[in-house]
Amino acid sequence: MPSSVIEVENLVKVYSGGTRAVDGISFHVGAGELLGFLGPNGAGKTTTIRILATLLAATSGAARVAGFDVTTQASDVRRRLGLAMQTPTLDTFATGRENIELIGRMHRVPRAELKRRTDELLELMGLTAVARKLAGTYSGGMRRRLDLACALVHRPQVLILDEPTEGLDPQSRIALWDELERISQDGTTMLLTTHYMEEADRLCNRVAIIDNGRIVVDGSPADLKAGIGADTVTLQLDANGPEDLARQQEDVRGLLRGFGSLESVTPEPFGVRLAIRDAGRAIPELMRRLDGNGRVVHVIGLAVGQPSLDDVFVKYTGRRIRAEAADHPIILGW
Amino acid sequence: MIRDFFYEAWFLSLRTLRRFFRVPANWIGIILFPLIQLFVFSQLFKDIIQLPGFRSSGSGSYLAYLAPGQIAFTAFFAVAWSGSAILVEYRNGYMDKLRATPIYRTSILVGELAPLFIESAIMAGGILALSVVLGATIKTGLIGAALILVLSGLFGMAWAGTSFVPALLTKSEQATGTLSLLFFPIAFMSTAFVPPALMPRWLQTVNSWNPITFLIEAIRPLMVSGYDWAAIGKALVAIAVLGLVLQSATLWAFRRLTA
Repeated sequence: MPSSVIEVENLVKVYSGGTRAVDGISFHVGAGELLGFLGPNGAGKTTTIRILATLLAATSGAARVAGFDVTTQASDVRRRLGLAMQTPTLDTFATGRENIELIGRMHRVPRAELKRRTDELLELMGLTAVARKLAGTYSGGMRRRLDLACALVHRPQVLILDEPTEGLDPQSRIALWDELERISQDGTTMLLTTHYMEEADRLCNRVAIIDNGRIVVDGSPADLKAGIGADTVTLQLDANGPEDLARQQEDVRGLLRGFGSLESVTPEPFGVRLAIRDAGRAIPELMRRLDGNGRVVHVIGLAVGQPSLDDVFVKYTGRRIRAEAADHPIILGW
Repeated sequence: MIRDFFYEAWFLSLRTLRRFFRVPANWIGIILFPLIQLFVFSQLFKDIIQLPGFRSSGSGSYLAYLAPGQIAFTAFFAVAWSGSAILVEYRNGYMDKLRATPIYRTSILVGELAPLFIESAIMAGGILALSVVLGATIKTGLIGAALILVLSGLFGMAWAGTSFVPALLTKSEQATGTLSLLFFPIAFMSTAFVPPALMPRWLQTVNSWNPITFLIEAIRPLMVSGYDWAAIGKALVAIAVLGLVLQSATLWAFRRLTA
């Protein structure tokens, strides 16, 4: 029995306009594993997913899902695949039940089994009470859950989810995380994309950071964070308007020039964020430095934190992911 | 294989019908224009029936003469914007969702086109019923009425290509109804309002190639006199040719879009 359920080798996708959306991606996902693609918009996550879901042809490279090639054995892949795209795709003039049943029929779930499975999924997703209402009347969270129910109706071996919690309020997001965790524990192999750090941190066994069409690093969230080797020290500054804040941030940078264990200084709306090795020991010296030389830096708060996936992302891409603009689904040709 | 295809097309068609009939605006919009024409023109041009050219049509009143054309126009309007639904689902990703299931790609298109037979037939049936209420007759009875619906349904299914082809080629909602502008030349250069005898020579020539004229001329005897199998045969051939050309183009455009 093959241990890798998703195998991708040197995948490349160049769109007709010349955009190199995916630029040589390789990765494996083991049976029952949950891999998260973490990356900003336009990094190539959705393109990779569309190739794996047999919706888009790769320019070169190979991808196998559940042991079948996505180009030459597309229908074998489709039979074993559950897919939920970035925005829930529902028949808005059909009821919740009708939506699930149609996808089940397309997957040839036998009639009696389909009825049972649909009831079960409606119950699981908390949609039993609205099962007879048109999907067009559902709230954002309900649409997500119905979309997920459609993806699960044929008990897929592999579940691929593109930004599964995009656009949800925090409460619905946490509820959906619980649901995804349960599905993962049932042994379903999962690949999801996200640009929410907490999501990757909470759900994924393994995270691949993807930027400009390439995987820059992958590993378990814990290993990636340990690899940073530095703690985060945030300094809250008391400033009179944005110009004063910018001046103080520059001053901090100046005052800390040559400071032994400092790895980086990042300006933030509230002050600055420092990456410092062994922060506990460095704090007294850090404070002495910030005190002096006629420059006025008003530190009104200081916090020391363990590295987060955010820091991992900054280290490997040089940017913060949240600075990116919100996602807008793009229309892709097939 | 064939069974799989029918299974998929069947359930996708049921979905398409549901989508159509659950929004009253869909069918009200289709019925309204032919209904107004039927009602207003039959009053406005009531006396036109006394002109000599009308006698050979066998219609006893202008309403009776007018009704077959309005039934045909209803089939026309039922499909004039029919390409928009598939385009909406292409854009919002629902078509991708279907394409990621193990079905034939063509089932998706057939699931959109086949129901147009039912939609056109039922819409045309609505106008047929209303014209009977207003005073028209159906000489051939229920069987004739069923024949009228079948002809209207087939015409609608064939004509739908005029909406699907531009929709699928341009991927633009605006384009789905562009060819519905053909309504005006096609309607007024047909025998819907006046018989060919009253047309100038050039218009008679255009009219003899007008696809909707074949449909109207097959429906009219079924309503006013009796079975005219020659007219029905001609209508079926015209619809078949039209359907073959337009739907081959639709299939080509659909494959191009989903390639």
